[in-house]
Amino acid sequence: MKGVSYMNPKLNASPAPHIKSDENVGKAMRDTMLALIPITLVSIYFFRVYAVVFIAVCMATAALTEIVVRKLQNRPHSLQDGSALLTGLLVALCFAATTAWWKGVLATIIAVAIAKELMGGLGWNRFNPALFGRVSMILLAPWFVGISTEFMRWNVDFGPVDVTTQATPLAMMHQGLELPGFGSLLMAYPGGAMGEVSPLALILGGAYLLYRKHINWRIPVSIIGTVFILTLVTGQNPLNHIATGGLMLGAFFMATDWVTSPITEKGKIVFGVAIGILIVVFRVGLAPTEGVAFSILIMNAFVPMIENATKRKPFSEPKKIMVSTEN
Amino acid sequence: MEAKTFKGGAHIPHYKSWTEDKPIEKLAIPPEVIIPLSQHIGAPNEPLVKKGDTVKVGQKIGDSEEYISAPIHSSVNGIVEDVDYYPYYAGGEALSVRIKTQGEDHDFQPSEERNPEEMSVEELQKAIREAGLVGMGGAAFPTHVNISPKTPVDSLLLNGAECEPFLTCDHRLMLEKADQLIAGAKIMMRCIGAEKCYIGIEVNKPDAIEKLQKMLENEPGMQVVPLEVKYPQGYKSTLIKAITGRDVPRGARSADLGCIVRNVGTTIAGYEAVVYGKPLIDRVVTVSGPNVGKPGNYIMKIGTPVSFIIDQCEVELVEGSKVVMGGPMTGNAQSSLEPGLVKSATGLLVIPPEMASADVPYTDCVRCGKCVEYCPMHLYPNQLSIYAEAELFDMLEKWNASDCMDCGICSYICPGQRPIADFVRKVQPELKRRSRAGKTG
Repeated sequence: MKGVSYMNPKLNASPAPHIKSDENVGKAMRDTMLALIPITLVSIYFFRVYAVVFIAVCMATAALTEIVVRKLQNRPHSLQDGSALLTGLLVALCFAATTAWWKGVLATIIAVAIAKELMGGLGWNRFNPALFGRVSMILLAPWFVGISTEFMRWNVDFGPVDVTTQATPLAMMHQGLELPGFGSLLMAYPGGAMGEVSPLALILGGAYLLYRKHINWRIPVSIIGTVFILTLVTGQNPLNHIATGGLMLGAFFMATDWVTSPITEKGKIVFGVAIGILIVVFRVGLAPTEGVAFSILIMNAFVPMIENATKRKPFSEPKKIMVSTEN
Repeated sequence: MEAKTFKGGAHIPHYKSWTEDKPIEKLAIPPEVIIPLSQHIGAPNEPLVKKGDTVKVGQKIGDSEEYISAPIHSSVNGIVEDVDYYPYYAGGEALSVRIKTQGEDHDFQPSEERNPEEMSVEELQKAIREAGLVGMGGAAFPTHVNISPKTPVDSLLLNGAECEPFLTCDHRLMLEKADQLIAGAKIMMRCIGAEKCYIGIEVNKPDAIEKLQKMLENEPGMQVVPLEVKYPQGYKSTLIKAITGRDVPRGARSADLGCIVRNVGTTIAGYEAVVYGKPLIDRVVTVSGPNVGKPGNYIMKIGTPVSFIIDQCEVELVEGSKVVMGGPMTGNAQSSLEPGLVKSATGLLVIPPEMASADVPYTDCVRCGKCVEYCPMHLYPNQLSIYAEAELFDMLEKWNASDCMDCGICSYICPGQRPIADFVRKVQPELKRRSRAGKTG
């Protein structure tokens, strides 16, 4: 018998555990896209064909970018996991619907190619790809002044949409203008980026992600809570602050990104509170735009440090070693 | 019902409905048995028989002089066909005795019935050693060593959690052999000098909890502790923490914490060893899975070949199935149907391809944090899997990889299909080597 080992080809003998949950990355990405449907629908309701085209352009660009970059890297694409499409959708929601479509294309290429694939692909990126793409466009803005006449010819005009010229509530707040009521701000108020028009739709989506256990309550609660408290103590109207700008999109969909947020329980709270503080600093002290995006990206850089500082003790290292005294 | 537990772990599907209501019954006697000579953790046994010898049920066929060992007995009447290396349930081959069965009756016939109360602690421990008892919940550590603690122990914890999916053998034993279980627990308590006994049972077995609670009403010091249904509730460390609230520091043996943990099957076998002198030659095994024609809880002879069990239980073996000896989270997937049943095998599960894990392409870690949330040892399996894949031993040590007790919950839950537990399992020998080298050099 020695040396003879008979393997039954019918049997799967892979190592333990022998059963597997039905969790997979694609399912989580699809659920996140599902959670973004309410805000997408509200955007389409307000901005009609502008929203449809801009979102479609960004999502298609994201898919193509992943295919091309992976091709150059000689790796198979992983469109089936939905990560690229989700990035495309998130980039789109960071822009106003009437933004020139080529800006969306450029932002998406930067998000997928540079912020994600060149960083090593999903799992290795340090910064939230969609936000990275979005703020790159701000930094590149001066450059656009020169080339936009060239690109303008390619812009498509879908005709006027009533609401697109409205100032964003945050800008109104900054200029000391009268804001619409909290109720209408929360429900839906067109102005600014698509992902800002309806905090309620985003809360709905966020609640779904919490229910499906894809995100943890710690990050959104600590961000929103910090913004609320800090604006309250600095004498502002906290309700207006939490119902405006990209706060809900950032708190539920951007800061909770698995890859770029701390994995530790305490770390999530530290991360959320720090983002909340930065948001208030940006909003009160600096320009009334993209405060949420910059705050999250800045804190993305601190994630490894936060994780290290908030590491839990292993089960085998109890605080006090108990010696049996019963008997 | 108030249920105790620990922090971490996860609810996973039970898959127990195929067998939880099936009373224990005997499986037929196979035409031959393949009995591995060493079925315990510790020193290997030497064969005591050779080819051509006639052996009787319960006759010792392998033993060792070493303290940490457990003898092996013939489970049938028959003739030794061979003593050689045969396929082993955990992979590879192991020195085994192949016995061709002869005759009809293979039941163990006790020569006497002893009263445990008239026996000294040394006699009890010796009876358990001679019966070849090992941990029957999967660990396979020699029982007589466990129940000879050097420091005082106040509590005996009986593990009836049965936290792995599919398995119901302990559940059925608690229902059908409750008397022997309680008598066995008293024997164990005397051996270790414990005054208290806690029977930990997950609340998905309310009938067993109720039955034992009723029987223990007049037993001072003994009680049932309902446990939350959560994997891995039945691991030694998590069980001690849940039942006694005591922390389990790295390197501490349970005796250092004042408790000894025993599986319910082992406890009943201990009773039979002491009272009837019956060696561990058979055990209750849960045979289950959606393609098993006759699922159930069967008493089987140690050494029964997997192929015989598959035939007897009318298994439809679909290509790509997993045949697992043990539980679905920690057992061993068989690469052939030849190995014989071992003492620690809780189940013989046939998991069809659509339920089974497999060697599939996996993604990079997406840091979802689920493994971190569930790890009962409060480690960071996400980091460990990356360091283990890259063999970064300094980092593995820094992140306490050797604390891993290989429960497999991280691999089970990973949305990226990463074989986290297997990565960490593969670096353990090197981590042990480094730890030893560090201590001596």
